[in-house]
Amino acid sequence: MKLSIKQFYGLILGIIGLIIPFFLNIEGLSEAGHVALGIFFLAAAFWMLEPFPIYATSVLVIFLQVILLSKEGFLFQSATETYTPDSYTAFMGTLANPIIILFLGGFVLADAAVKYNLDKNLTRLLLKPFGTKPAFILLGLMVVTGLLSAFMSNTATTAMMMTVILPIIAQTDLKDPMRIGIALSIPFAANIGGIATPIGTPPNAVVIGALSQQGVNIPFGEWMILAVPLVIIMLIFAWLLLLFMFKPSTDTIALDMSGKFNKSKNALMLYGIFVITVFLWVTESFHGIKSAITALIPVVFLTLTGVVSKDDIRKLPWEVLWLVAGGISLGISMKSTGLAEWIVTSIDWSSFGTLMLILVFSAVAILMSNFLSNTVTATLLIPLAVSLATSGIAGEGFSLIIISLVIGVSASLAMMLPISTPPNAIAMSTGSLETRDMAKAGFAVGVMGIVVIVVYALFYWPLIIN
Amino acid sequence: MEPQIYILVVEDELEVMDALVNDLEKFEDTFPVETANTSEEAKRVTEQIYESGGEVGLILCDHVLPGENGVDFLISLQSDDRSQKSRKVLVTGQAGLEDTIQAINNADLNYYIAKPWTREKLHEVVVDELTEYVIKQEYDPMKFMSVLDSIRLADVIRSGRITDR
Repeated sequence: MKLSIKQFYGLILGIIGLIIPFFLNIEGLSEAGHVALGIFFLAAAFWMLEPFPIYATSVLVIFLQVILLSKEGFLFQSATETYTPDSYTAFMGTLANPIIILFLGGFVLADAAVKYNLDKNLTRLLLKPFGTKPAFILLGLMVVTGLLSAFMSNTATTAMMMTVILPIIAQTDLKDPMRIGIALSIPFAANIGGIATPIGTPPNAVVIGALSQQGVNIPFGEWMILAVPLVIIMLIFAWLLLLFMFKPSTDTIALDMSGKFNKSKNALMLYGIFVITVFLWVTESFHGIKSAITALIPVVFLTLTGVVSKDDIRKLPWEVLWLVAGGISLGISMKSTGLAEWIVTSIDWSSFGTLMLILVFSAVAILMSNFLSNTVTATLLIPLAVSLATSGIAGEGFSLIIISLVIGVSASLAMMLPISTPPNAIAMSTGSLETRDMAKAGFAVGVMGIVVIVVYALFYWPLIIN
Repeated sequence: MEPQIYILVVEDELEVMDALVNDLEKFEDTFPVETANTSEEAKRVTEQIYESGGEVGLILCDHVLPGENGVDFLISLQSDDRSQKSRKVLVTGQAGLEDTIQAINNADLNYYIAKPWTREKLHEVVVDELTEYVIKQEYDPMKFMSVLDSIRLADVIRSGRITDR
């Protein structure tokens, strides 16, 4: 295995970071807190500089916590004055956390949808009403992309939409700026659309997982009520922005809408289960069936009926589940060892107002996730925000749910660079645009994102939560 | 990291070779083009490519060559794991039915381009074959989307090769 210089520094920094706290005596931080700090340093260095794949670091984080911080580990077999160790099952259990099962259900549904071309056929069907005018086609592409990426992975949605837009791009004149607008519209809409539901994208899972550890349960539908209005505003903004930045010079675009829905028995079974599952998810608040339980419906019935085969199951993106589980697991010990609270108390928050805090967390999250994985960004920031809110340091009115949402949503609104998200990378690799186009438009979306988030966090989310 | 993928052209007539290489210019940045005049030389060139850690993704081969003919050369490649996976295309006007059948049955011939070829046809075949190669070898589809069949590569990503992170 060959490491780049960046990765090499990551490896060294991570190892040093893990060891150093063992030799320090930090005032106000428990012994276990020192250990947790070491693990946090290692995780941060490995996740940010990526000497190893991020999902590998995630399982390493779970492993280190089990052997160093759990009751069954080497260091804390009995409770100390400052630390009551969790059982190892708490850390390992994150791999089967309800939010992980919810994602598993989403994966199985999405995988089956791809297998039976439901995603492509839905796209064609949904694009029809948008006609042939470039501005409306662009809107249609973004609406459909956003909608699909709310239920499928942003990456798979982008890849699928590429198969729709590449023929359009190939037909348009090389000098027509609309080419760039269309190529950017897909990753942007996919990144934004992922915010809309709990299963839309992994950072949402990190937020929901962290909140559930605090005893706050956010039903599927409530997440949507909180997130969808923001998604709509951001989509409209991104649409207008791309229209403005890359004015189409043609009057009409021909879209190939041919394609037939698969009507085999398996496909019909899939459509049925899809509708039932999504319906039960969205209406969770009315019937109270937890979304993770509903998520088992597609897992169970699509496998029982053979719609999803053993090979399909093997091909699911399991590493994403590891990634999220590692993030949730890191939060456990940061909280129980008092590490998160210590970090939070070492900063003088009293000089910040609520507005300032929201602004700072949102801006930091967007900045970080432009360079890092969105999930890693959410994972590293959420424990701090949670401690800030639960310790009461930030004062009245600083809501746990709101600050968590701010971080989760912000992590998805970073789209300046090809490395910001896989959808950006895909759009870039088609060769139809340049990095500066993406950087300019992505910057505008990021700034608008911060503004919208602050407004929602101050005025809209409190209405829904209280 | 993906190894460097090469295109190998085997052709003994200089003018024809020039024309082929010229038509392959568009791929040169991503897939360097190596040339050989005989099958002997071709074997040396492939060996060098393997030694430098590279792979031969596509072989465009004439049939009538001094020494070993093109079809026999392509068949000989089947006995080596490294060259067996290369996409193989005959570019010829003179391969008889018997030779062609041989090439299809024993060399896993992927395509037959009859001389004279058109640039468009050549591009189409090269794109198709290299796309197939990249997909079969499970290389990162994103690296090749701007040169190869981007729609097929996007479809590979769609079915789960790359995920959110």
